Amino acid sequence: MKAYLAIFRMRLKMETQYRGAVIGGVFCQMFFGLILVALYRALYAGRPQALPLSSVITYVWLQQAFFRMVLSSDGDLADKIRTGAIAYDLCRPLNLYGYYYLRAMAMKLMGSLLRAIPMLVLAILLPDGWGIAAPQSLPHLLAGLFGLLLGLLCVCALENITMAITMRTLDSRGMQAMLNLLMMILSGNILPLTLFPDSWQKVITLLPYAQLLDAPIRLYTGEWALSQFPRVLCIQGAWIVFLVALGLYFWRQNQKRIVLQGG
Amino acid sequence: MSYIDVQNLSKSFTLRKKREKGKLLREKTEIQALKEISFSIGEGELVGYIGPNGAGKSTTVKILSGILTPDGGSARVGGLIPWKERKRHVQRIGVVFGQRSQLWWDVPIMDSFQLLRDIYRVPEDQYKKRLSNLTDALDLGAIMKTPLRQLSLGQKMRAELCGSLLHGPGLLFLDEPTIGLDAVSKLALRDFLKEENEKKGTTILLTTHDMEDIAALCSRVMVLGHGKKLFDGQLSHLLSRYDTVRVIEVRYGSGILPPLPDCCRMERNGENYRITYEPEKMPTAQLLSLLQGAGEIRELTAQPQNIDHMIAAMYKEMDL
Repeated sequence: MKAYLAIFRMRLKMETQYRGAVIGGVFCQMFFGLILVALYRALYAGRPQALPLSSVITYVWLQQAFFRMVLSSDGDLADKIRTGAIAYDLCRPLNLYGYYYLRAMAMKLMGSLLRAIPMLVLAILLPDGWGIAAPQSLPHLLAGLFGLLLGLLCVCALENITMAITMRTLDSRGMQAMLNLLMMILSGNILPLTLFPDSWQKVITLLPYAQLLDAPIRLYTGEWALSQFPRVLCIQGAWIVFLVALGLYFWRQNQKRIVLQGG
Repeated sequence: MSYIDVQNLSKSFTLRKKREKGKLLREKTEIQALKEISFSIGEGELVGYIGPNGAGKSTTVKILSGILTPDGGSARVGGLIPWKERKRHVQRIGVVFGQRSQLWWDVPIMDSFQLLRDIYRVPEDQYKKRLSNLTDALDLGAIMKTPLRQLSLGQKMRAELCGSLLHGPGLLFLDEPTIGLDAVSKLALRDFLKEENEKKGTTILLTTHDMEDIAALCSRVMVLGHGKKLFDGQLSHLLSRYDTVRVIEVRYGSGILPPLPDCCRMERNGENYRITYEPEKMPTAQLLSLLQGAGEIRELTAQPQNIDHMIAAMYKEMDL
């Protein structure tokens, strides 16, 4: 257990080595957030929607704040697979699936917390009608946080599947670009899922990408009542079990047929 | 009872060729990286493992360190099958891949060592003792807090070696550990390995292309070529078969080099003449009197044959 915790500590250290990247990320996400908020304000000024504007704005800010959590971007690991430096990881006395799962989790958690905290502070300080709104109630906040945690477990399982496939294709860029596009649409990063047509939402909200941020945010804003919470947990739980099982299967297959390039 | 016991180990890889015009699918070829090799290594031995590029040396190391699963044959290291009991096996071994890095690129090497301590579950007091020993032996004190990316190649390699030895492995696989190192670093590394082997009894399998490494460290060598074991025994035995020529370098104060018989090869390098000959065909005394008769010799040095030339001759004869 200590070994796995150490991976978290290491990741935090690495993130703090590149403070510039964190600051840059915060500014970039703030910029996107402001543009999107301006866009929705304009949209609502012309034609108000059923969902209150403040909920949409809160949705945008939470999406932007935790963008790093859903973005699939472990360039380090992709490089290791490409160059074969992964050989070292393969000779550690650790469960490899667990090791990479926690590595992804540490990266997403540390990376997104370092950016989310300053961003949320900034988003709170913005003038009325531009900034993030408080959660519906304390239970809504807790439900949202718990949902976020399960969403994190989901996205790490997805990441591990991507990496297992990368170990065969050797290059992750194509797949990551495609998956990131899918993720940005299906997680509600580009257009909040709540603004999709109802018939679409029935399907989209069941997919794994919607479990990452969309479900927790809707619990936070109160768009979904607390009575919906068990349903959300079931969907998230089912995806976690399925994605982890699939990932484990892939890794086990890989371990049997692994090939390391050169040298 | 030997520590490493390998029987008929085989491994093949599939290579996909570039698709040919007019064909729908790419052709596949199978490459046999290892063809039923067998050997055993006793505890505390330091064995050199040599062979030309692509012979299958690294494949062997990767199988024995539990990374690759072989197609056939068996291997036991300290009673464990590396690829089946991987976790327990790797806890007891250390591996250095000379061309790759195990330390984290962006953080001080000290932090990488602490992570390795946690991964290998090394008790704190043992870790401290081990680390201070390694820091002294490998001269790492000054760079402990430097991120890996700022280290020179030699410093990096010493840090890598330290990382691989932190958990006190009884068996060490070294895959080209001296690649790219300068003379000082190379000598220091050799001394360190020798001590690790002699004092701590660490079993070492050393893969390298640097024959000086082998000559300095290993009494026993295994030669691999095209996936087959071609030689296993004393380095001196191996060399005596190929150690057939000698080299004399000569510089004249006055006079010039006389014509030499065909069996001698001569290269001119400024004022120096470099003569390679086979004592079997041209006795040294005869050659010397020939050289002396031509003028006043200012300088003359006799050298044994370069070990790389011997190995090259051996690879050539073995058709590698």
